[in-house]
Amino acid sequence: MSPRLAPPSAVAAQTISESSPIASPPFDIIAAYRRILNDDSISMPVAAILALVELIEFSTAGTTFELVQALTDGAEQLKSRTPNSISLSAGVELFVAFVTLFPHESDSFDDLKAELVSEGRKYAQEAQTYRAKIAEFTFKFIKDNAVILTHSYSRVVMHALLHAHKHKRISVYVTEARPRGLGIKTCEALTALGVPCTVVLDSAVAYLMDKVDVVLVGSEAVVESGGLINAVGSYQLAIIAKAHHKPFYALAESYKFHRLFPLSQYDLPTHTPNILSFPRAPASSSAPGLGSPSASYTAALAAAAPPPTPARGLSSTNLGHPPPASASMTSDQLARNPEVDYTRPDLITLVFSDVGILTPSGVSQYLVGMFAG
Amino acid sequence: MDSQVDNLIWKLRRRQIVGSRLTAIETLLVLRQYITKAKFTTIDQLIQKIKGIGARLVAAQPTEPVVGNIVRKVLHHIREEYKTAANKPGSSIQSSAFSLRNFVVSGQPRHQATLQKTEARDHLLRSRSDWHHDNHAESLKPVIMEAIQDIFDELETVYESVSKSAKDHIHSDEIILTIGKSRTVESFLKAAAHTRKFTVIVAETAPSYGGKSTAKALASAGISTFLVPDSSIYALMSRVNKVILGAHAVLAQGGIFAVSGSLMVATAARAHSTPVVVCTGQFKLTPLWNLNNEYGSADIENPDAVLGFDEGSLVDKVDVVNPYYDYVKPELIDVLITNDGDHPPSSVYRLIKEAYDDADHEL
Repeated sequence: MSPRLAPPSAVAAQTISESSPIASPPFDIIAAYRRILNDDSISMPVAAILALVELIEFSTAGTTFELVQALTDGAEQLKSRTPNSISLSAGVELFVAFVTLFPHESDSFDDLKAELVSEGRKYAQEAQTYRAKIAEFTFKFIKDNAVILTHSYSRVVMHALLHAHKHKRISVYVTEARPRGLGIKTCEALTALGVPCTVVLDSAVAYLMDKVDVVLVGSEAVVESGGLINAVGSYQLAIIAKAHHKPFYALAESYKFHRLFPLSQYDLPTHTPNILSFPRAPASSSAPGLGSPSASYTAALAAAAPPPTPARGLSSTNLGHPPPASASMTSDQLARNPEVDYTRPDLITLVFSDVGILTPSGVSQYLVGMFAG
Repeated sequence: MDSQVDNLIWKLRRRQIVGSRLTAIETLLVLRQYITKAKFTTIDQLIQKIKGIGARLVAAQPTEPVVGNIVRKVLHHIREEYKTAANKPGSSIQSSAFSLRNFVVSGQPRHQATLQKTEARDHLLRSRSDWHHDNHAESLKPVIMEAIQDIFDELETVYESVSKSAKDHIHSDEIILTIGKSRTVESFLKAAAHTRKFTVIVAETAPSYGGKSTAKALASAGISTFLVPDSSIYALMSRVNKVILGAHAVLAQGGIFAVSGSLMVATAARAHSTPVVVCTGQFKLTPLWNLNNEYGSADIENPDAVLGFDEGSLVDKVDVVNPYYDYVKPELIDVLITNDGDHPPSSVYRLIKEAYDDADHEL
């Protein structure tokens, strides 16, 4: 800790503030992050970088080591409060590495901090242009009259589709992307802008794939193996696209390149033991498995079971009527399902990024340059 | 000086120059002439002029990507020489050009030592500032000429360089399959024949029948050669140890444009797990992507070879297409043997990044 600081306020010392002890009010990185995210066009990693930049502004660290410590603590805070933090951690790691390696000839540490702040802001400005660049690259690969399949909602894919729509005729299928249903948002946005668009069931992708010319997806992160982390269902799309020999393109800005190297789906940091677990029967007075389950057990089981599928056309009154609304999962069941999945690099044809058009194995070149050696 | 360029444009348009290497050499000659006589105060001017010429040349013959490649190579060398020349004490160097963007694109700063200064140089270039060196830019001419001579030497020795590793790739008593007429493949096989004894099966490559001249050339070099019709390629593939193909151009994905029939050969080889080797010069690496990800021919030949007018009754009832090239996708190719070493198709995009500057991809 810098010796010139004498924290008078115990409150400040108690709060898990990553900034200096005398700062009042202590810098709340979560609030800053949320505020920055209000701007819809800024993606999570860039918002995280901007939040860290603000942290630097507030920080009174005297050495690079302290500063990096403060940044790492702030990053941890952000990650702990964000449910799906992979893209966030990609941006954060990039910025922290940058700060650590920043060569500075300035004499005072404050000058260095000012430089870092301006670099960070400059980068965030530049980052706004990345989606346009990626849209340009993708444009060349979309034929006229192409049928495009996409998954869930991704700003960079929207950008690319709208750019293509201006100059070519395209039609778009988008998967519903349960449980969040963001695919519907994509469809509404595209239809409002005149692009023919239909939402398809996640389970209908294989049915649909023969009609599709190209599959475009956005990304949460592109990992070192060249694989893709994206909303759950992307892996499925990639496998089906490969089986039908359709090209599968991933669109990712360069701040989403992440150092992870998952060997399977369950290697992802988002995978918790709760996911894909089997619900435990609620505790009952008599031990289960004794032949005759207790009444409370069966009752509890019945309560936990999903509502029975509605009778379809069995009673005479139902004949000819459309089936009633289908059953939906309980929130407990939804919690047992993953939010993101990992698509293997051999299923991805090309990665479109602001640094260029890359084969999946090309991503590691950039990651190695930044983090290794 | 412009007449030289116009001459070349007309020759390209009329297809009077045949063969990638010859086209490359002619293009390089014209560019060299142009640079010798060119007057410019900043390197930027020279680069813009060459880009203009390059655009016209490429437009004259878009089916021959080598023209654009040579122009890009020359531009790349010019920029490099400029950077090295200006990287001397006494010239103003911008201090830290290390931004977050550079960090992503070029990696850590100590690896960026030259690159940092390059960024500074690019900045200076773009600003077109009255950088006191009117004579400095022109004084680079001899250095640029040297660089162009290097490219020349590379082009002249393409066949020898590619064939250097021939005896390591071909073993005794192997059966090699090849298709079409490629001088690179011919010299590769002839070089190997000096030390190894092997057999070559040549597909006749209808309707251009380039395979016939390849078979003749190989046989006269003392290599045991079989000439077979294209239809028997799949049947013979189980006996073949290796497939060696020539390429018209290598695209950025790692795929190649090769003579029609190569896709069939490569697919048959994949079905039999036979390695497919492509022999090509580095100058054929093109920073273009095969955009539609499907079969497409870069050039169409005279349909007369397929269905002539002597079949008068059919000619007006049938549409005849005679594509000259196939696109072989990178998944079907195992290795590219170039004068610069052996590379898998997945690293082609990196070779292209090193050989050409991003700004020149679109001339």
